[in-house]
Amino acid sequence: MAENKSMKDGIKRRDFLRVLGVSGAGATLTGCSTEKVERLLPYVVAPDDITPGVSTWYTTVCGGCSAQCGMWVRTREGRAIKVEGNPNHPVSEGGLCAKGHATLQHLYHPDRFPGPMIRDGSELRQVTWEEAESLLVARLGSAQNPMLISGRMGPSLNKLVDEFIEGIGGVRVSYDAISDAPLAEAARIVYGTAGIPQYDLENARFLLSFGNDFIETGSSPVAHNKGFARMSSVDAAGSKGRFVYLGPRLSLTGLNADKWIPIRPGTEAAVALAMAAVIAGDDPQAAGPYSNVLQAYNPQVAAQVAGVTEDVIFELAEDFVSEAPTLALGPGVGAHHRGATAANIAVMILNHVAGNVGRTVLYDAPVNGAVSAYADIEATVSAMASGESEVVMVHGANPVYSMPPQAGFAEAFAQVPFKVSFASALDETSEMADLILPDRHFLEAWGDSSPLAGVISVQQPVMQPVPHFESKQTGDVLLSVANGLSGQGDAATFYDYLQEHHRSAYDEADGDFEDAWQELLRTGMADTRREEVRALELQSPEIALSFEVPTFDAPGDLTLLVHPSSRFGAGEFSNSPWLQELPDPVSKIVWHSWLEMNPHTAELRGIHEGDIVTVTSPHGSLEVPVWLYPGIREDVVALAMGGGHTGMGRYADDKGVNALRLLPSTSEQPSGALVTTVTSVTVIPTGENRRLATVEGSSGDQHDRLIAPAVALADLGHAGDDEHEEGGHEELRELQGVGGFIPVPADGGAPTAFPLEGSRHGLYADAQEGPRWAMAIDLDKCTGCSACVTACQAENNVPWVGEEQVLMGRDMNWVRIERFYEQVDATQAGDLDVRFLPMICQHCGNAPCETVCPVFATYHTPEGLNAQVYNRCVGTRYCANNCPYKVRVFNWYRYTDEVPEPLNWQWNPDVTVRDNGVMEKCSFCVQRIREVQNRAALEGGREVRDHEVVPACEQSCPAEAIVFGNIRDPNARITQVSSSERTYRVLEDLNTQPAVNYLKKVTFHEVASVGHEE
Amino acid sequence: MRKHWLIGGLASLLALAGLAFIQEGPQEPPGSEDMVEAEYPSGQPIAFPHDQHAGSQPGQNNMDCQYCHYSAERSVSAGIPSVSACWGCHQAIPGSNNPEEVAKIQQYIQSGDPIPWVRIYKVADHVHFPHMRHLNAGLECQQCHGEVQELQVLDSRDPAWGGDNMGWCVECHRQPDDTGKAQASTDCTVCHY
Repeated sequence: MAENKSMKDGIKRRDFLRVLGVSGAGATLTGCSTEKVERLLPYVVAPDDITPGVSTWYTTVCGGCSAQCGMWVRTREGRAIKVEGNPNHPVSEGGLCAKGHATLQHLYHPDRFPGPMIRDGSELRQVTWEEAESLLVARLGSAQNPMLISGRMGPSLNKLVDEFIEGIGGVRVSYDAISDAPLAEAARIVYGTAGIPQYDLENARFLLSFGNDFIETGSSPVAHNKGFARMSSVDAAGSKGRFVYLGPRLSLTGLNADKWIPIRPGTEAAVALAMAAVIAGDDPQAAGPYSNVLQAYNPQVAAQVAGVTEDVIFELAEDFVSEAPTLALGPGVGAHHRGATAANIAVMILNHVAGNVGRTVLYDAPVNGAVSAYADIEATVSAMASGESEVVMVHGANPVYSMPPQAGFAEAFAQVPFKVSFASALDETSEMADLILPDRHFLEAWGDSSPLAGVISVQQPVMQPVPHFESKQTGDVLLSVANGLSGQGDAATFYDYLQEHHRSAYDEADGDFEDAWQELLRTGMADTRREEVRALELQSPEIALSFEVPTFDAPGDLTLLVHPSSRFGAGEFSNSPWLQELPDPVSKIVWHSWLEMNPHTAELRGIHEGDIVTVTSPHGSLEVPVWLYPGIREDVVALAMGGGHTGMGRYADDKGVNALRLLPSTSEQPSGALVTTVTSVTVIPTGENRRLATVEGSSGDQHDRLIAPAVALADLGHAGDDEHEEGGHEELRELQGVGGFIPVPADGGAPTAFPLEGSRHGLYADAQEGPRWAMAIDLDKCTGCSACVTACQAENNVPWVGEEQVLMGRDMNWVRIERFYEQVDATQAGDLDVRFLPMICQHCGNAPCETVCPVFATYHTPEGLNAQVYNRCVGTRYCANNCPYKVRVFNWYRYTDEVPEPLNWQWNPDVTVRDNGVMEKCSFCVQRIREVQNRAALEGGREVRDHEVVPACEQSCPAEAIVFGNIRDPNARITQVSSSERTYRVLEDLNTQPAVNYLKKVTFHEVASVGHEE
Repeated sequence: MRKHWLIGGLASLLALAGLAFIQEGPQEPPGSEDMVEAEYPSGQPIAFPHDQHAGSQPGQNNMDCQYCHYSAERSVSAGIPSVSACWGCHQAIPGSNNPEEVAKIQQYIQSGDPIPWVRIYKVADHVHFPHMRHLNAGLECQQCHGEVQELQVLDSRDPAWGGDNMGWCVECHRQPDDTGKAQASTDCTVCHY
């Protein structure tokens, strides 16, 4: 190796460094006045279940959203350092979304309250729990009409809260910032059932979404993402399910569709009913009590209303029957307009006439999602403003931020004489409170969940509470306050209450409760669902229903869509720097807000990308930069929720704009949900322009390069028998034809064939023994959800850099989800082709980065990894310049030093925390490889089993698109998957010999043969 | 854990070369160690004699290292005994040589504070050293740590220790095994990641 060769001047490199190292050490001694020593602090009493240096895993429940996915939490020396999906859990089956990963940052968030706080004038003063609780006891003891506004909570806490509120003679108001109320209300009206129906996406063959963004929002994003990926990816028999999206804007879910029908906002009901009418045909009873409704709808009417052609609706209706089993999803939380319940009813009728109920739409185990009515909290405003309620408590909700300012919640809340917040961290509502009783984070607290009827999970604390914060579980606070009010000295804790709740529901015939409880904690869930399917009859609607297109507030020439963000929800996740720096799956923008506008609309108005515009509705106005998006109708603009915080903390405040400022405080009838697609707006340029903080480099265009090719379903199984299969190697063949690219061995032998023998998986492939690590990513499964990006960030101590640094191209995520538009037409129904590609270090067998590193900091390991040795790297950045995949990122500053205490407690102790001047990139989670190899060595030196090493991205992937393993093992999953005819490697013409095999996306339409495109 | 830099005559050269040495980030295995100002510049909080415990001379107790360093065989980390582990024996053994030092254990047990031992043996933060792999390969503790069982209060490393120098590690890894191949991998990512 070069480092052993003498340099020209006769000094060996090592000697050179050694000399300098010695002077450096001397300098250290003379340069510092106090020598520091490192302390080794033992446990006072060693816990039984902790071995230093060995991870301990606990099951619990994700408290991030109403989906309540099962979680496994990895702890080291008593600290939670990584959350992962629990594969046993019936809802999430091992997947976890980006928000789920980011809940860990809320656990260690420096903006959590240090302890209970009491307002002293304009300041909050920290007090003891005794003081705080006795103050609440005193105020509640004399208060008129106390009220509790509460967000989602588990069944046990819910029961306790109900008892508590009854005890104090108060009122309880449930409030979810994002609510599926129209869906629940529709199910109640149509079938008389409670809760949200469960969708069996996996077993549908034809999926129709009427503006339902099930991958990023809704009742269970991870489960739906998984079901969708299984349904829509090509199976061994060469068949795949089809997905059509109807809606004015392509959400992340929409981008995964095979066909987009860009209907006008609010016209879902017309299309669904017209389809149902076609399917019902001459059968007058097909839709039972709704048959007369169908008579008013036909494709001609619907086509005119929705702005599409009749043929499209006829075709959809035919396919919806012929491609059974099918499934239609009504407008979800991102598309609530004034007719949202009616539209959901229309879709239910469509599912009913197509015979999907009991097949793909299941009402037997209803989903316990967020279904509170916005109208309820709206009603509290007047009660507060009139001074009727003397004490208002808020738990698990931030209405000051998440309600439209028009509602006047903040002003009314300010009138309440005594305001109590249970928020664990700062937010706009707790900022106004007189008393703050900080709840524990769900990873420190007991609780339970029931995501579906019949499924129970226990949320157990995975660590001692973070010592920086004197928090107390709200259940315990309520029990203690109840004791204070009643004067009794009941010593029961919330844990006792929780266990008793489950004990009372437990049938001792099934064995000892304590054993069952331990098993419940160990596996994380109990599934007692029945396997029966109820036949449901349509019920006559009790109220008059209107399926007319809803009205939008005028004046304004563009309809505004306000939708929950796939990263921040309704803003409750905005204070996570991981999520702030996670590129939005659709726009690829970080840290700030943007207004989505069709490029054609912008052109007509002389608006360019990045132009800051004033968006004005009848209810408010704000300034925001424009992002040009071909996936939105020309008469529509869209804004995501979650921006524009003013009192949430250091990573959320002043980032972007709060879209709710443009909305009226209006609830939909009859469900009472907040309507978000409700107003039109005018868009006027301010004359200013800004650069968007985007990580996208090529505007969604592959520029004729072979990055994310696709193959038509019809062409599968016909490899090599048409000219399309030539793709990718044309340049090589051309070069070989003229003799310009035939590798000549260094020993001067004859030119060899290409590719070099043994270089299928890299230059070093056949010379070594042992494993050869490789990855396969199935682009037919990948939905672009970006869970892997945050999972990787959590696992590998990847820092965030902030908006300014991103603008300078210094973003540091190791995984980048590329998004390419191949075929997007917002003016008419047509095939949609948008491709996602997770781009990571390709671990090239013939890596361009390795040959240019002057210090051998990057090199190829015998196991096929492209290694990056941080302690060798001197930061020349030659490697990044020479990487054709742009996957190497550089530490320009001491980003990791700036991570405030205790956020740095999350760091993975198995991975070096990099400092400035160091290049880094995906390592294939080498620390996980080593962990498994160490374990295998201890277990008698056995072989590492297939699928034993699971990198963070693969673990997290809800779509099961990523497979990792030893490709030298012919029986390994990675080898099997990689042998697909769809396998290709990105930019393989460069002879980089990547270890990442991609599987082409499969389309229903013919794939245009542009450039290298297949 | 910042490095201190000399800005002197060789500043520019040093800065360049120095880049090679600064990559160890402030990576602390949670909960087990801390950086504090030295209260005992040259000593340990308790004058703990390794020889009295692990030595094999007459009157010494010849304890196995892993009786106290309990996780060395199954973890990357060798482990240091909990205060209660010390107290487990010493509540019955007041110590004949230095009973006042032994009595300090009781103070720690009573106050519930950990004993702030001064760390002596340490590899750099960018090095991952799995104790269990080495023990299971048949190495003795002494091969790296020196004859610690013959030392009294540990305030400096055994001269045999070469853990600051990668060549010392690699030399051993390169030794041929029975088949003539290197007995352990010398690939960088075996230790550095």
